[in-house]
Amino acid sequence: MTMLRPLKLTALFIGASAQHELAYRANFWVSLLNSALNFGTGLLGVIVLFEQVESVRGWEFAQTLAVLGVYMTVSALRGLFISPSLDSLAGMDGEIWRGEFDFTLLRPVDTQFVASVRHWRLFSLVDLLLGFVVLGVAVTQLALPMTLAHAISFVLTLLISGMLLYAILLAFASLTFWSPGFLFGWVFDGLFQMARYPVGLYPGVLRLVLTWIVPVGVITTVPARALSGDLPPALLAGSFALSAAAVLGASVLFRTGLRRYASASS
Amino acid sequence: MTNHRGGWALIQATWLSWMQYRSFFFLLAFSWMIGPLIYLLVWSTAAGGGTVGGFSRGEFVAYYLILILVNQLTISQTTWTMGELIHNGQLNRLLLYPMSPVYNTLASEFAGKAVYMLFVVPVSGGLALLLRPELHLTLANGLAFLPALALAWALSFTWGYWISLLAFWTTRADALLTVEYSLLFLLAGQVAPVALLPDALQVMAKLLPYRYMISFPVEVITGQLDGAGLLTGFALQIGWLVVALAIYRFLWRRGVRRYTAIGG
Repeated sequence: MTMLRPLKLTALFIGASAQHELAYRANFWVSLLNSALNFGTGLLGVIVLFEQVESVRGWEFAQTLAVLGVYMTVSALRGLFISPSLDSLAGMDGEIWRGEFDFTLLRPVDTQFVASVRHWRLFSLVDLLLGFVVLGVAVTQLALPMTLAHAISFVLTLLISGMLLYAILLAFASLTFWSPGFLFGWVFDGLFQMARYPVGLYPGVLRLVLTWIVPVGVITTVPARALSGDLPPALLAGSFALSAAAVLGASVLFRTGLRRYASASS
Repeated sequence: MTNHRGGWALIQATWLSWMQYRSFFFLLAFSWMIGPLIYLLVWSTAAGGGTVGGFSRGEFVAYYLILILVNQLTISQTTWTMGELIHNGQLNRLLLYPMSPVYNTLASEFAGKAVYMLFVVPVSGGLALLLRPELHLTLANGLAFLPALALAWALSFTWGYWISLLAFWTTRADALLTVEYSLLFLLAGQVAPVALLPDALQVMAKLLPYRYMISFPVEVITGQLDGAGLLTGFALQIGWLVVALAIYRFLWRRGVRRYTAIGG
């Protein structure tokens, strides 16, 4: 497989998904409404809290807004291709559920690659934009001078978060091979929602779970700290190591799970 | 129609069939719990050792734990039970039953709520042991809670039912549902107790029906309301229930006359 082939395939997948999406044009307005309401309720959630208090455990309005912005940005990335692809594999009525995964296995490309990038939801680009808007507001509220190093470290942490999110989602999807029918994605959704707020706001045990066991807290808190210029180099290196290890671990889990797949015919 | 015996048999059958899928419904109950749980943790951390807007840490815990229970008791699920039946044309079968189709919806309702409670009651009980809620329960508040809860359920059920009947005319009620969910989140005491909302939102919360589906009974039992607040609350709750019943009757009569199905 040459280096270019995955890129070409991805472009084809994007094209096919776009055609599919354009066939349902009325959906666009409902999705737009949905995104706008998500944006509004998310913002109001933070505003209502900080109408009442100045800061919570050292987290002030601007920094909490940065966490929300990162949450929305990373969620948009997830909605762009990670979730649509993995849900069609392991979600409700997905390929494993129906036993149709055989067709995917037979294709002459890497299975993990196809399973991860085959479906796109281009509307999520709107959500990505809204996430950037919240981040922009957070930056103006932080009232810090933005240096280049600062911006670069933020983009790096955002990429690391994206990788980490992908790894966790892939791991949860792989678990479906052991227990087809259980919607692991829903469990993840619940935990991921907690990342809307800084992990520092949660009680001790939960904070440990959200940092070390299902590290969704790391996904939003680290880039938000980078944005407010409060990122020790060790944390950057540590979160990179964590996400690299997570991607490797999840791939191993996926491959081990693949071997258990026994189709659905009886 | 008064075939109650048939209705009861249907409720039992539905309960048994839902229990078959209990892990699915437990998961559903779990995902509904997360929203209020996040705000429980955020607000109780914000209160710390003092108070925020008159609430202490333990009072936030009590408020949100009761809210979690009430939310799952009153949450409307008719849009994906009744709505789907109309959509897929399976309503034919129900129209031929010797009892009102509302029994079918009630059957899913009771079965569902019973299954959710099997999950939510132990979980919130455990959380209560862990997080030490602080509830100053008086007899009057406890007694007022029961009708408030019953009315909240009735309002939420009827309100959801009329929305699901829109399926007679359109396959696209999802825009309306999206708005509904956001309003339930903002105005029904989930993001914050209604008393802590900024003024404009608070006025909306008190006028629109959403608060009366979830948070009003919780405010009653946690003693947040004075006499006048209680009375206007009950009046608005009953008023919105009457409105919802009127819309339901109107839509059902027109809809069922209009209903045709293809195939079997």
